[in-house]
Amino acid sequence: MDPIFQPFRDDPHYPLDRYEAAADLMLLNMGPQHPSTHGVFRLKLVLDGEIIVKAVPYMGYLHRGVEKMVEGLTFAQMTPIFNKHDYVSPMTNEQAYAVAVETALGIEVPRRARYIRTILAEIQRIASHLLWLSTFTLDMGGVIGGGAAMMMYNFREREDIFDLFEAVTGSRFHYNTHCIGGQRHDLPEGWVQRVRAFLDRQERAFDEYLRLIRNDIFDLRTKGVGVMSADLALGLGITGPNLRASGVDFDMRRDAPFHAYDEVEVRVAVAQGCDAYARYEVRMAEMRESVRILRLLLDQLPEGPICGSKPVKMANAVRVPDGRGYTAIEGPRGEIGTWLIGGGEDKGAKPFRLKIRPPSLHAMAAMSYLLPGHTVSDVVVVLGSLDPIMGEVDR
Amino acid sequence: MAVDQTNLSYEHPLYATMDKMPGITVATTTVDMLLTWGLKNSLWTFAMATSCCGIEFMHANGNRTDLDQMGSVPRPSPRHADVMVMAGTITVKMAPRILRLWEQMPEPKWCIAMGSCAISGDFYRDMYSVVPGIDTMIPVDVYIPGCPPNGDDLMAGLKRLQEKVEAQRAGRWVEPEGRPETAKAILPALGRVIDRDGTQTERQLRACQSMGLDGNEHRQSDLVAKSAGLLSNLLKLKGR
Ligand code: SF4
Repeated sequence: MDPIFQPFRDDPHYPLDRYEAAADLMLLNMGPQHPSTHGVFRLKLVLDGEIIVKAVPYMGYLHRGVEKMVEGLTFAQMTPIFNKHDYVSPMTNEQAYAVAVETALGIEVPRRARYIRTILAEIQRIASHLLWLSTFTLDMGGVIGGGAAMMMYNFREREDIFDLFEAVTGSRFHYNTHCIGGQRHDLPEGWVQRVRAFLDRQERAFDEYLRLIRNDIFDLRTKGVGVMSADLALGLGITGPNLRASGVDFDMRRDAPFHAYDEVEVRVAVAQGCDAYARYEVRMAEMRESVRILRLLLDQLPEGPICGSKPVKMANAVRVPDGRGYTAIEGPRGEIGTWLIGGGEDKGAKPFRLKIRPPSLHAMAAMSYLLPGHTVSDVVVVLGSLDPIMGEVDR
Repeated sequence: MAVDQTNLSYEHPLYATMDKMPGITVATTTVDMLLTWGLKNSLWTFAMATSCCGIEFMHANGNRTDLDQMGSVPRPSPRHADVMVMAGTITVKMAPRILRLWEQMPEPKWCIAMGSCAISGDFYRDMYSVVPGIDTMIPVDVYIPGCPPNGDDLMAGLKRLQEKVEAQRAGRWVEPEGRPETAKAILPALGRVIDRDGTQTERQLRACQSMGLDGNEHRQSDLVAKSAGLLSNLLKLKGR
């Protein structure tokens, strides 16, 4: 990459007039409606020919005002709202919320419920990474250009996963299966066998995917594109696969265990490449790791109750006292944090403030650091490799 | 009834010539049937996917409920599409862009409201940043309720739209679909949208105000007037 773009990569606010352009600079808007912006997201690009000099991301096209809305809702009413932030991994979002309230109230979750949560979270991780894989290849190949083939293979497995979730929760997409203190639905009969069969199929499918996408063009388009140093990633608060692709060995599943992760061994996938290819490598390795963890969990699945000793059923029964705390779990995209201040309206039946820390928002902040010096066609590769979900960014 | 032929006006002089040719009506009806058949079986969709429903729309176009089998291919550009599928929550920031994309679509065009967010705003309806339903801006032909509606629902919706297209082409009366919710419930929210920052177009304002009275009845009466006008024109043209 040309070193004249380095100042723009170091500091997105570097003044444009210090840049000596070969031709006139051009302003190009990408989005908010663009087939590969992963939702409604706008990117303002300043171009010198085909090279990006400066990139400014604009967000907020999906701001639904959820954080304000939940201040008027009781705690039991909130679960269905929380799975709509990150609509590619609704299960983990619900869990983040459930864990936050349980921690605030000091509720102990039964062991079986914790296992069920872990199993659901890992299946959700596979589903989420599958969607990432299909959109990533779709962006690079285009629907007409053959990229859709990958999507068809991925969605075959995703439909299987939806069937599994539907069997447990009764819903394909937005599950609402976590209540405060446990699970609402127990695993149906024969479900464990179905999951095992699915895992076998999934494992075979990985090799199929590799045969489909591993070629020189894929390497050329991803290697050395969107290099994010570990310092930058840590400075921006990036977590999850994007951080691990920059060589930082950190995974909350292993380093700050929640659910039942302390009872299984999690092998964290780390790549040193820092580029889009490394992010691809990490996610692929994570899916295989999820399959391995799931097999362990299914073997160890204990019997017992799925809800706590004092089940919280009444909507107004949950009252979070005055106080504040931060809890976080590892979702498919990184750390989903919840900052909860209790003691709101109605003697604590509603939260005073509930802030969600979405991993995608932090990943989006990296866009203006990563893009200068790349061509326009690399935008979709960089954006796709970061795997943002706009619902989570804007909330 | 005798009609004064001299006062008849044709849209194009060719029509006057065509009217006198023997057997032409048979030919044109056949061609028309062919066109209708083609149109209704190739409703290309433009997914205005803003949020979760967009993912389900992708699934509907995936391999289980393959919407391609109904001839509806998803297109990334509004200029290629016949049907806009509004999938997801509409925010105040996004609404002008959605309207603009809708206006970029070539006629004839239809709109499907997919999911409760696109129909009425779902539970975000009362939030400061959410537009309560796509039909405050754009006339909707088919409502598909659900959160999100799955592929089968979408397929049923497309089927309804195909029937509607066929009926429209044949000049038959089509009962407009009612919004699965009363307009009254969203009045306060509508008020907020109307006087936000004065950037709404005339059309949006009119749509909002008409919704304020009674959404369904208003549009229905509009349609009655329109079709009555069409009918009288047609009769005039045929000289009866
Ligand atoms: S209707 Fe439900 S699934 Fe669809 S966009 Fe709204 S919240 Fe998401």
